[in-house]
Amino acid sequence: MTPEHSPPPEHTRGRPGAAAVVTADGLVKRYGLTTALAGASLAVRPGDSVAIMGASGSGKTTLLHCLAGIATPDEGVVHYGGPDGDVEVTALSDARRSALRRSQFGFVFQEGLLVPELTAVENVALALMVGGTARGEAERLAAGWLAHLGLAGMEQRRIGQLSGGQAQRVAIARALVTGAPLIFADEPTGALDSHTSADVMGALLGATTATGRTLVLVTHDATVAARCARTVHMVDGVVAADRSASPSPSPYTQPSAPPTVSPSAPPTAPPTTSQSGREDGR
Amino acid sequence: MKTLRIAWLVARPSRAGLVLSLLPVVAFTVTTALLVVVLGGAAALWTTGGQVVNAYRMFTSIALSLLVMPLLGLGGAAARLAARRRDDRLATLRLLGAPRGQVSAVAVLEAAVLALVGAALGAGVAHLLVPAIGAVRFAGAPLGGSMRLSGAATAGVVLAVTLVAVGSAVLGLRRVQLTPLGVRLRTDATRTGWVPAAVAVGVVAAASVGVQVVGGSGAVTVVVVGLGLSFAAGIGVLNLLGPFVIRLSAGRRLRRAGSAAALLAARRVLDDPKGAWRQVSGAAAVSFAAVVVGAGVSILDVASRESLSAEDAMLVTDIRTGLVVTVVGAFLMVACSVGVTQAAAILDRAELSRSLARLGTPESVVESARRRAVIRPLLVTTLGSAVTAAVVLFPLTGLALLARPLSLLTILGSVALGVALVQATLWATAPLQRRAMSETP
Repeated sequence: MTPEHSPPPEHTRGRPGAAAVVTADGLVKRYGLTTALAGASLAVRPGDSVAIMGASGSGKTTLLHCLAGIATPDEGVVHYGGPDGDVEVTALSDARRSALRRSQFGFVFQEGLLVPELTAVENVALALMVGGTARGEAERLAAGWLAHLGLAGMEQRRIGQLSGGQAQRVAIARALVTGAPLIFADEPTGALDSHTSADVMGALLGATTATGRTLVLVTHDATVAARCARTVHMVDGVVAADRSASPSPSPYTQPSAPPTVSPSAPPTAPPTTSQSGREDGR
Repeated sequence: MKTLRIAWLVARPSRAGLVLSLLPVVAFTVTTALLVVVLGGAAALWTTGGQVVNAYRMFTSIALSLLVMPLLGLGGAAARLAARRRDDRLATLRLLGAPRGQVSAVAVLEAAVLALVGAALGAGVAHLLVPAIGAVRFAGAPLGGSMRLSGAATAGVVLAVTLVAVGSAVLGLRRVQLTPLGVRLRTDATRTGWVPAAVAVGVVAAASVGVQVVGGSGAVTVVVVGLGLSFAAGIGVLNLLGPFVIRLSAGRRLRRAGSAAALLAARRVLDDPKGAWRQVSGAAAVSFAAVVVGAGVSILDVASRESLSAEDAMLVTDIRTGLVVTVVGAFLMVACSVGVTQAAAILDRAELSRSLARLGTPESVVESARRRAVIRPLLVTTLGSAVTAAVVLFPLTGLALLARPLSLLTILGSVALGVALVQATLWATAPLQRRAMSETP
């Protein structure tokens, strides 16, 4: 496939009229003889929820990594329209991209990848402490987010003492606590049963797009993708189909006043709402 | 036979897994080479000394006891490293329906083979080193070929190292959950009770009183035996006390941790205080010995000012040479042990390190946490064991001897050398950590 097979980046969805929060244009990425991206383009508007689907090897995770500045493409550019204006992610140094990820992006991985020896609240607070927030303040905000995601009372549990769904909620809290406006999730429900998966997706959507954040996730699961406002299908390293859908009704109860954490100015008050998410026992 | 066939299928080195297989082999090679050299030297000294052969035997025994802890630390690290490789393949075996016992047998067998190969290589390396190390002079002549162990003795050492590896693998597997969904370390933090600490304090007090009693006799032989006994008691105490003290210290640091690196380091140590102790226990033994040696050096310094017979003067010179060789050897083992443990930990946590990098965690934070998790326990144990040694020795030597500039110089010099070597090892493993955090390893 060649770059011209991808839809142009102007095909933006999400909030009508809004400038794209992240744009990829003509991305090519090779690993040795394997071409993971063959000219992929995508633009995501603020507040959008985009599911990237495709068969194994279609390049969906590589696209996510390039959008998030984790990997740099061999060709093409990625722009991020953040609060400080447009940034060409692909032109940044490794350290600058690292700082961008720390302050502007949140990540949820398939296995959570939480630090096993830290408690739940410390895992979440770590994201803030790495950015320079004092520990007391970081743990206070982290505890607020954990309560918000239905994990009140579990702050001092180690990750091994939590169920898969609970651990994934901790990962969601970690992604959100810094106030990142753009959340990337790589198979966030891949290791969960369908019941827990629906629960975690509800929590993820409720804490991201429902609060004005943008969510880009990679998934194999059509049910998970159906919960997103937009689904992008990748084939052989390019975006082959791109369609909006009406998200399925969410079992997640939308909090009346979501936590407001801004990357530039952390809140003075912790999240006060608590959400009664289902406890998925192991 | 079935287990053997499965073991070969699982364990044969693939190109990707070659580094993982090589690392424990290298660790066993270093362990065995040092062990064969040390035992060879000890065997040569056992028959040296003519009239004062007993003095040589006693000092050789003390040197050997000093090397036991670092050597066990290194051997244990190598064995654990061997036992924890191949995790995914072991999980696959479970997934295919192999019973837990068979999978454990495969893991232990693989550790044994890696140990045997490494130990055999180490024995070869040791024999190559004999001409160089044999140049060290004792009793007025180089040790030379007399420090070359016989074939049977060398084979015995290789077998012993392999058995230690097997034992350690069996013990190591107790901490590992072999499930069809993966092989992972048990998630509960290991516990360190106060009972061993209480026993340790009792032993220190008893040793101190014991030393006072034998020291009162004033006879040189009794004083030297007293030194030896206090040394043995001290080494035993360190093993009981070490993990407990490390846990207390890490707990205090956890409460005070203000940065991400400090938090990660304190939690990592608290997660496994025994592991943290094992990593630096050799240095603690050397630090303990440094105080004994410092006092000994001062005694020798005083003694050499008096008129000594030619034989006694030679013994004094040889004791000094022996001290240098033993301390350098012990620190080499400690450095290797830290290197092996760190390499294993980095490989074990590679995925987690990569995820932290993806979150935007600077490499410096992860590296700083790794360093703190080793250096802080190292400082606590080296200083703690130096104090323990001083408490035990005080009744025998008095403060004046321990506070002599030569004593203090020996103590501080040994501790500084140990910390510097461990720092160098951490620095040497930093590229591995960088690679683990990189997206293109």
